[in-house]
Amino acid sequence: MLFLAFALVASACSGDDGIDVSDAPADDTGDDDTSDDATGDDDSGDSRSGGVLLAAQGAEPDRLDPHLTSAFASFQVLENVYDTLVQPGADLSMEGALAESWEVSADNLTWTFTMRDGVTWHNGRAFTAADVEYSYNRILDPEAGAANAWRFGSVESVSAVDDTTLEIKVSRPTPNLLVSIGAFKGMAIVPREIVEDGTIDTQPVGTGPFKFVSSSPDQGIVLERNDDYWRADEGLPYLDGVTFTQIPDQTVKLTNLQTGEVDWVDTVPPQQLAGLEGDDSLVVMRVPGGDYHYFALNQNRPPFDNVLVRQAIATAINRGEIAEAAQFGAATANQAAIPAGTFWTYDYSPFPAADTDAAAALLDEAGVTDLTIEFLVSSEFPETVTQAEVIAAQLDAIGVAVEIRDVDFGTWLDVQGSGEFDAFMLSWIGNIDPDDFYYAQHHSDGGFNFQGYNNPDVDELLDAARVETDESARKALYEEAATAIIDDASYIYLYNPENINAWGANVQGYVVRGDNAVRFEETWLDG
Amino acid sequence: MTATSSRDDHYAGEPIAEHRSRLRATVDTILLNRLAVTGLIILLLLVIAAAIGPLVAPYGINEISIPDRLQGPSASHWFGTDDLGRDLFSRVIIGSRVSLMVGFIAVGIALLIGVPIGLASGFYGGAVDSWLMRLMDILFALPAILLAIAVLAVLGPGIGNAMIAIGIVYTPIFARITRGSVLTIKESVFVSAARSLGATDIRILRTHILPNVVAPITVQTSLSLAFAILAEAALSFLGLGVQPPDPAWGRMLAEGRGFFEQAPWMAIFPGLAIVITVMAFNFVGDGLRDALDPQQRSVIESRGQG
Repeated sequence: MLFLAFALVASACSGDDGIDVSDAPADDTGDDDTSDDATGDDDSGDSRSGGVLLAAQGAEPDRLDPHLTSAFASFQVLENVYDTLVQPGADLSMEGALAESWEVSADNLTWTFTMRDGVTWHNGRAFTAADVEYSYNRILDPEAGAANAWRFGSVESVSAVDDTTLEIKVSRPTPNLLVSIGAFKGMAIVPREIVEDGTIDTQPVGTGPFKFVSSSPDQGIVLERNDDYWRADEGLPYLDGVTFTQIPDQTVKLTNLQTGEVDWVDTVPPQQLAGLEGDDSLVVMRVPGGDYHYFALNQNRPPFDNVLVRQAIATAINRGEIAEAAQFGAATANQAAIPAGTFWTYDYSPFPAADTDAAAALLDEAGVTDLTIEFLVSSEFPETVTQAEVIAAQLDAIGVAVEIRDVDFGTWLDVQGSGEFDAFMLSWIGNIDPDDFYYAQHHSDGGFNFQGYNNPDVDELLDAARVETDESARKALYEEAATAIIDDASYIYLYNPENINAWGANVQGYVVRGDNAVRFEETWLDG
Repeated sequence: MTATSSRDDHYAGEPIAEHRSRLRATVDTILLNRLAVTGLIILLLLVIAAAIGPLVAPYGINEISIPDRLQGPSASHWFGTDDLGRDLFSRVIIGSRVSLMVGFIAVGIALLIGVPIGLASGFYGGAVDSWLMRLMDILFALPAILLAIAVLAVLGPGIGNAMIAIGIVYTPIFARITRGSVLTIKESVFVSAARSLGATDIRILRTHILPNVVAPITVQTSLSLAFAILAEAALSFLGLGVQPPDPAWGRMLAEGRGFFEQAPWMAIFPGLAIVITVMAFNFVGDGLRDALDPQQRSVIESRGQG
């Protein structure tokens, strides 16, 4: 989903949007008991209906147009209002949503989707393939300014053949098209009428489990049950409604959960995890996510253009200590990007961990002494400051000095864009397809390759993997590319944090998802 | 803002012998003031701590030890440890360097810019006065912290720029106080006498006017130091001052805020350090004002003797 990417492209001011997610720590030890509690109470059908869930989010949604917003807070709400053509299931593989089925032509250049029957918009109008055509063309239209047009990089045309059939033509085989159109609600299908009358930002109309009722500073954002939801025959959604309130202060948000003023919170400060997990009135659930934290050295600036210097730094740092310091154990150190437990997982750790002798030898070999690195971080993502402080202490052991440059996120983006940095540190969140993990960041033409990595072999591998339709062949290509990326220390990967939400013991049927999507479709309140 | 000037022309032309006894009286009055003495002692301790900080600090300020994180105050860590296991006592001690340095340099900047502006403005009057003081009024009209943040937004964060920002913010105060005093003194007979003898403006300003506006400026300096340290703390709190990992009280306070439930000592000790330092400067400032203001002084002396 690359929310951060959107924050990066969209604007300086949207820096807050990513905080909550990238803050979200996690633990691979998991809470199997609690998650069973949360999902396993299937005792009686009656108890599953009714109730209005009060959800607290840390940031204010900036706007409600799913195609234009980049704020995670907006998507927390919109996730429950809109649908996409396909959507990630529990294991993050793509399953049908508004599209019931799809097929790809033999030349892999035409995708044909069949729409689900009997879906209606919240305003009562019937949903058709023309709505999908309209929505995708809006995303593709440069004048509309959608943040996600790049996801349609290979799409040549989108056309509704009839009311239930949609055809997408692509210029090259696009094995990750389903991820592109379904990974998150930034690719939502919206009705033409609310775009044309301009109410899409204030009064969204979707096809999802909840209808948007109102948004106001004192009442928060009020959603009510959509009785005509396309999964209504399964009794979904169970809740009568969801109300989102915005509580920026983490401590206040948590206190409200503990006192029962809200039922659900979108993040938990990692340092409080230990205390909360002993609290019987709460459920804290953490699952491995697709996020990763990293830093990158500026390869356009000596001595970081020397791969030995980058490898020395990748060798000197202690990733376990960094993860522990920043996430209080709710993260897994990783020298690669993709976390364990997915189809695309690639376990590769070439660097001896925290080996100061080996690191010093590499620096010697490079002939570099008296090295000072200026680390670009932002207090708006407080873990980056903490990590930089720990890295400063760790690199001190090999005689490398670290100067931390803590700026507001707007400045951070400017500096990153202008290339006036030694090193920058941040996280990428919500990735599913390996193309999301590597292409924009490490291809020499990649839009986020600010560190100046240029390896023709990697370019070739990434280009080939993009169009490879055989999954295992595609996986092999990405592993080859990842090997080079890690060996060359284009990014120095640190760890994968886990996604964490917390809720009151009365909330049932909610699960924290690997993609951090907040879905209340199958949630209900006890008693 | 605190000094009244009607008194200045009393002793402006007094002979040197009497001047010495006045200094003596000033010192006596300050020493009579228990708060001022307390403030002086605290400041003295602070300066010593800042000077020999690395010798007394039991740990390195950036000595990270994750297993020791968030420990409460104990014999080995007097003020406890922070989220990275660093010793807070050491960081608070070394943090005093930042506060004092920023305070003195920022106020120094304000003095060096503000006093000449005030002198010129008060002495020449007319258009010079109007222009300079309107400029000062504009600066003065903006809330101090906002103005400092705006300056830092232009210059970029960092300790050097923080000093410049705070210095700019406090310049108008010194300009105003100096101007006010100059306005009364330049009408004195000895100034007219000097001028009629053909003294140049510079000479009159330097030998006749400047010495006579020192008292209110001294008082203001002490009070401004308190505000400057507070301003530095506020800017560091917002992440605009000292950059991590170096310790500054305001930044430590900001870091401690997120851990207030688990480790209140992370915020309490830097907070106390700020409060105590600012109070000490205020006590000394109040004592100086009492001592340098003859009307106030007589009240205090009579109180002290009675």
